[in-house]
Amino acid sequence: MVIECLVLGAGQEVGKSCVVVTINGKRIMFDCGMHMGYLDHRRYPDFSLISKSHDFTRSLSCIIITHFHLDHIGALPYFTQVCGYNGPIYMTYPTKALAPLMLEDYRKVMVDRRGEEEQFSSEHIVECMKKVTAVDLKQTIQVDEDLQIRAYYAGHVLGAAMFYAKVGDAAIVYTGDYNMTPDRHLGAAQIDRLQLDLVITESTYATTYRDSKYVREREFLKAVHKCVASGGKVLIPTFALGRAQELCMLLDDYWERMNLKVPIYFSAGLTIQANMYYKVLINWTSQKVKDTYATRNAFDFKNVLSFDRSLINAPGACVLFATPGMISGGFSLEVFKQWAPCEKNLVTLPGYCVAGTVGHKLMSAKIPTQIRLDEDVQINVRCQIHQLSFSPHTDAKGIMDLVKFLSPKHVILVHGEKPKMVTLKEKIQSELGIQCYLPANSESLCIPTTHHIKAGASDAFVRSCLSPNFKFLKTNSAELDDSHKRTMPLLQVYDDRVSEGILTLQKNQSPKVVNQNEFMEALGVEKHEVKLAHCFRVYIPDSESGDASDCLPSTSRKGSLLHLISEKLCRELPDFDVQDCQEHIQIQSVVVSFCSNEKCPHRTGVSLQSVDKKEVHFCCSWSVADDALAWRIVASIKNLELDT
Amino acid sequence: MEHRLLSVTHSTLREDNNLSPKSAAAVLSLITNPFTSDSTLSSLLEALVLRLHNPNSNSDHQKVLSLLSALSHHHPRLGHRIAAAAHAFILLPSTPTPSLPHALSLLDPAHPFQTDPFSDESLFLSLCFWQCVKTRRWILRNLSKFRVRPSVLITVLLGFTKDPYPYIREAALDGLVMLSNGIVVEDPSLVEGCYFRAVELLFDAEKSVRLSAVRAVSEWGHLLLALKGDKTQREWSDALFVQLCLMIRDTDAEIRVAAFNALGKIRTVSEDILLQTLSKKTLAATKEKKYPGQYTAKLFNIPATAAAFTFVHGLEDEFYQVRRSACHALQMLTVLSAEFSGGAVHVLMDILNDDSMVVRFQALETLHHMAMHDHLKVEESHLHMFFGTLLDNNGLIRSAARKALQFTKLQKLAMFRSCVNGLIKNLELYPQDEAEIFNVLYKIGRTHGKFVTSIIHEVSQELEPSFDGKLSFDKKRTAALLVLAISAPVSLERSICSIPPRIYSYAVTLLGRLSSGLVHVMDQNTLLAYLSHCSKFTVASTSENFEGELLNFDLKNSFTHLWKKSDAFSFPESMELKKVTTPVHGYLLNSHIKATSCVEIVLWKVVELWPLIKLRCMNDVVQTLRSWKEELRNFSCNSRHPAGVLGFALRYLHVIKLLGKAWACYFSQRNLQFTEMGVLEALLHKMESRLKEMLCRHAGLSRGEKLHILELMLVAYTLRLSCGVTSYFEDYINKLKNVLCLVEYLQKEGLVELSHFVNELQNISCEIGHSEDGFIYKLDRLQKSLNLFSLKHIVLSGELKYLDAEVDVCDNEFQNPLPFIPGLPVGIPFDITLYNISSETRLWITTTLGEKSAQFVFLDLSEFGGSNEMRRFTFLSPFFRTPLAKRFSLKVSIAMECLSEDQHFKHCNGPKHELIHLCKGKEVHLSMPVK
Repeated sequence: MVIECLVLGAGQEVGKSCVVVTINGKRIMFDCGMHMGYLDHRRYPDFSLISKSHDFTRSLSCIIITHFHLDHIGALPYFTQVCGYNGPIYMTYPTKALAPLMLEDYRKVMVDRRGEEEQFSSEHIVECMKKVTAVDLKQTIQVDEDLQIRAYYAGHVLGAAMFYAKVGDAAIVYTGDYNMTPDRHLGAAQIDRLQLDLVITESTYATTYRDSKYVREREFLKAVHKCVASGGKVLIPTFALGRAQELCMLLDDYWERMNLKVPIYFSAGLTIQANMYYKVLINWTSQKVKDTYATRNAFDFKNVLSFDRSLINAPGACVLFATPGMISGGFSLEVFKQWAPCEKNLVTLPGYCVAGTVGHKLMSAKIPTQIRLDEDVQINVRCQIHQLSFSPHTDAKGIMDLVKFLSPKHVILVHGEKPKMVTLKEKIQSELGIQCYLPANSESLCIPTTHHIKAGASDAFVRSCLSPNFKFLKTNSAELDDSHKRTMPLLQVYDDRVSEGILTLQKNQSPKVVNQNEFMEALGVEKHEVKLAHCFRVYIPDSESGDASDCLPSTSRKGSLLHLISEKLCRELPDFDVQDCQEHIQIQSVVVSFCSNEKCPHRTGVSLQSVDKKEVHFCCSWSVADDALAWRIVASIKNLELDT
Repeated sequence: MEHRLLSVTHSTLREDNNLSPKSAAAVLSLITNPFTSDSTLSSLLEALVLRLHNPNSNSDHQKVLSLLSALSHHHPRLGHRIAAAAHAFILLPSTPTPSLPHALSLLDPAHPFQTDPFSDESLFLSLCFWQCVKTRRWILRNLSKFRVRPSVLITVLLGFTKDPYPYIREAALDGLVMLSNGIVVEDPSLVEGCYFRAVELLFDAEKSVRLSAVRAVSEWGHLLLALKGDKTQREWSDALFVQLCLMIRDTDAEIRVAAFNALGKIRTVSEDILLQTLSKKTLAATKEKKYPGQYTAKLFNIPATAAAFTFVHGLEDEFYQVRRSACHALQMLTVLSAEFSGGAVHVLMDILNDDSMVVRFQALETLHHMAMHDHLKVEESHLHMFFGTLLDNNGLIRSAARKALQFTKLQKLAMFRSCVNGLIKNLELYPQDEAEIFNVLYKIGRTHGKFVTSIIHEVSQELEPSFDGKLSFDKKRTAALLVLAISAPVSLERSICSIPPRIYSYAVTLLGRLSSGLVHVMDQNTLLAYLSHCSKFTVASTSENFEGELLNFDLKNSFTHLWKKSDAFSFPESMELKKVTTPVHGYLLNSHIKATSCVEIVLWKVVELWPLIKLRCMNDVVQTLRSWKEELRNFSCNSRHPAGVLGFALRYLHVIKLLGKAWACYFSQRNLQFTEMGVLEALLHKMESRLKEMLCRHAGLSRGEKLHILELMLVAYTLRLSCGVTSYFEDYINKLKNVLCLVEYLQKEGLVELSHFVNELQNISCEIGHSEDGFIYKLDRLQKSLNLFSLKHIVLSGELKYLDAEVDVCDNEFQNPLPFIPGLPVGIPFDITLYNISSETRLWITTTLGEKSAQFVFLDLSEFGGSNEMRRFTFLSPFFRTPLAKRFSLKVSIAMECLSEDQHFKHCNGPKHELIHLCKGKEVHLSMPVK
């Protein structure tokens, strides 16, 4: 059995996430994103690879969307409404709620601003969203008879989820984007320890090791506090969702703790609306928000007021959140124009700004500077600039931690830059010993999976399984190879109740596991044991040779000789229990006794008629398991003549 | 009803049929009904027991047992009988194994039977290996009840860690944890076996198993460590640490909490590993290290890098429980390494910004702990966060912040300054914290003596009285700075303490507030004594050439001395001095203390007048003195005679005025004119008698105070002698010598250091020896010695009592004279009130007629009642030599014989020593009766 993994997007790149996984005949498309960097056909995943006939509904079992970012959902309306996919689509509740906003916003920008040909219309979005089935966290959805999916919290943005999919015995997890460290408003990714064949994980920060989030928070708060304390105004350009709430919670908390009275404003528009969504979807936020929910909604910011234009030039300190994040236009640019010339003011910039935006220019500029907006407008920038470095993606350590925690059999990296992904791949393989791959776009990859066969069990076997039957083994450290020597404990515990069955496969019957006794009964045979035997001659130097009339040693002499041997064996084999049972010596399954049978079938070597009286024959028998031990004992007894 | 039910149930219980649910419900209703009679219950019990023991009543043991347990629960008095029945049931050979746990739970392990099933190993084992999972779980959960050999227990538990059922694995691990606390295992391989088995289960799919595994790994890890020798112990404890570090990335919060709790318990970890827990990148020291353990389900060597970023992850966690636990673990581990603490401080400082109060609090606790172990190195970049917590709107956090702060060592003056500012801001915003803030200021001041000194110098202008003469002590900032200032002399550093002593006297005005802040350090009296003591060191302010080192030494010594005087104090290294002062006492003290503190200030300020006196700006001096007197008198508005310290201060000011005038007079013209001579002599005479009065009329003067007065007396005498032309030259020589003797006596008694001036006089006197006119030749030196004199701060160490007397004659006025017959003695009835005069004092009533010599009548105080504080009595005193006149008036006063003065007076039957008048002369009018 194999899992086939076809990467349509985000293979060795960031953008248009889309992976089609086939597990035991079920095909699931994870994410259906668009690439923001392209405007041509490369913008969408190459759907034709899924099905030559373009009958997507039949060739896919379902689509799973992890979160509402456009590079994960952007192509969905196109795929459903234009390409005609009509099957089930799964996403979490918040994603379902927020995705239309994002898509509509994007469509507007594309059509209204850039004047592009419309890829999908508002109706398309609406219709597309109608096909979506919303899921809850840890809710197991039975897509069809064989396919189960389950969402786990990913902590990337509101409603972001990792998805677990299981068909038969093969199970995979597709992480989407996730964050292993919580922030103010979202928790850290949370998943069960599952038996997995494959994990497909993002690797945006495949080699980055980020410092503590507190450092970033501290720097941000310090900069803002310093600015407002000296009477300056702080402009925080943000995107509507996510970062705005995060920073606002941070500030709101700080304000309350420090008893600051400086007003914090939210510019009207999307942010307020987004806040409303956050308030409703409180269950998807961090533990802290949930905890405080009993007393108050953390998104009901105590110190936040709404802003209107007349306040731009009002005297006194203030903090303002305004969209868009990169100061590419709109309200944040309007305010920036007014506030930038004053040295007391502060502008924070998001971690990443697209080239050509004011934000990008500021990132590389030295203050004071002048920024040219267009032919006529030029802004004198004298205010302070603070660069934010908050990111909702996990870093290399987080990826390693998650992979280590899940310990799947295979890992596929997507959503990253190739050279960095190679480094991470090496690390995963060498450190964790897990096979790791990084397929490129349009590449297909097959991964072997375990396959379990259902077998019936006999009543006796089931009964024998119910009672514990444990065994303790002291492993001999010498038997272990070097790498395990140090770590393996000497004492091992086994519970054999399950392992002692016998699998029977009969024609025209399903396989069945039966008990050992049952099995023999069924076959009508007795239990046989393979034993090895060896009879050999030992020369015994005789002190009282003169008296010896009998060719065989007397019983008493025999006894003392055996005793002698057992003592010697005790000395030489200190790890074993040497039992001296008068007639024979027993060490584990090895039995050593005198052999008086002249025609012993196990006797080796020439058997002379005129035997020297000082010769004695020993016959040894043992089971296969103790073969090595037996030969040691034989050698030891043979050495007896040399010793004495 | 009850009986009907009982009979029905009886019949059903006796039958061999299965117990129907209906009849079981009937029995239960009887059991639970509180009004069921005892007889019913006991017959019910009997029936149930009978059924239980009946071997034929198949398969409804469970029902009967649950009815019995209900009975036992509702009627505990039947418990013993039920237990006995259950015990018998257990011993029955017919008893099916599945019923055993239920029956066992009815027994009370505290009251063992003779054949105790709980110590029956075979029963235990048969239950353990019974195929029913429920039974197994029950037995594992009730392990503690069984008294089975530990070797058996451990084997069973270890075996069950392999059970396919997660609940059994979990219970087995819990059992192992329980067992690890109570047994001693000497077989290392067994302990290792348990440890590694638990480690293996850290990778269990079930989170409840993982949680128990974390605990088991921790406990058995410690057992393992205990068994390992010194050499490998360290490595094994590192191994345990790293193994547990792995679990802090579990996605279950509870497991993370348990992992941090376990990490905090590890007592020895190598520094490299600890440092790795703060860094995400692999450190060179830990790069290659591997430990025995388990990294993933398959990898059996755990790299040291698994510990990377452990604590930062923990402190960044979403759940406050994890963050708190991580903080707490840090608190335990920072003790191990200073370098680690240094790194941890950075993260902890950020935690101070946490949104959860609990976490902030724990972080501050951790900082406090670090500071106590001297592992806290605060850097400038931390200050914003650290001092920010002082302004937290949660009182607990502020308090914890101050607690952490008080042991913190700050490296730079700027840091210290912002710390002080932080505290002052805290005080301004949250005045309710005042006491604690003062305490902290005092403590950090003590550890940062140098910084305190320079800060106080910077702000000393603020502390001075404003132009209108008022000290702005109501300002919180000023108060805080004063606290800081007073901490300096007890500084633990050997730094120069050159805080102007007047600051201490300012501090006295805040005594009440300060002492409530420093209540853990010293009580109010001690504080006052301390402040007075500190403000005594005038030298520091006036002469900066004074060697600071010396002063510091002196100051410390004397301060120590000061403490030691009061026996109630201990004097440990931390200088935590505490004496419980009852609040009532404190309150009573308070009003008195206001006056006292004011006196302190005035007496302190007087010293500053001395340069002015030397410059002969007597107008200013006199004016100042007058205003001070008025201020002081305000305190005594309700009492006629300002008594005690206040009165002393007033008299002292008067003496200073006289001294100043005399001094100015003496130095204004060296070649004094005779007229001026007269003025000077008069001044000196007044001064002398005032001083004498001060000396004699104040009970309770300390040695220091006496010496101070005597020194002033010496000045007066010296001034007088150095004029050269005095009519009583020899007299004064003698007086001088007498005083010197007294000084010497006092000095011998208490080893007090004398001023240069007194020393010089002593030298002169020694050189002269006994020659009568020696001084004449030493006038030069006498005159020069005056230059050595400077006024010092007189410190009133204790309560003073003013010896006072009032004398009155009833209804005696000029218009209403007493009758007398000329030439004959007359009895005059005096109303006498004595204050603070002990019965040993030799008191005389002096009666003078005109300018003639007086008549003395001895007052034997033992004849009169009353206490030393106040005596009031009438005394009929005779006056013998009535003149031959129609009317005359007498001047009567009460005088005290001054025993210290050696001069003899030649009064017959009169006093032998010089007299000090205790009251103003009272005129008594006498007239011949008109016929």
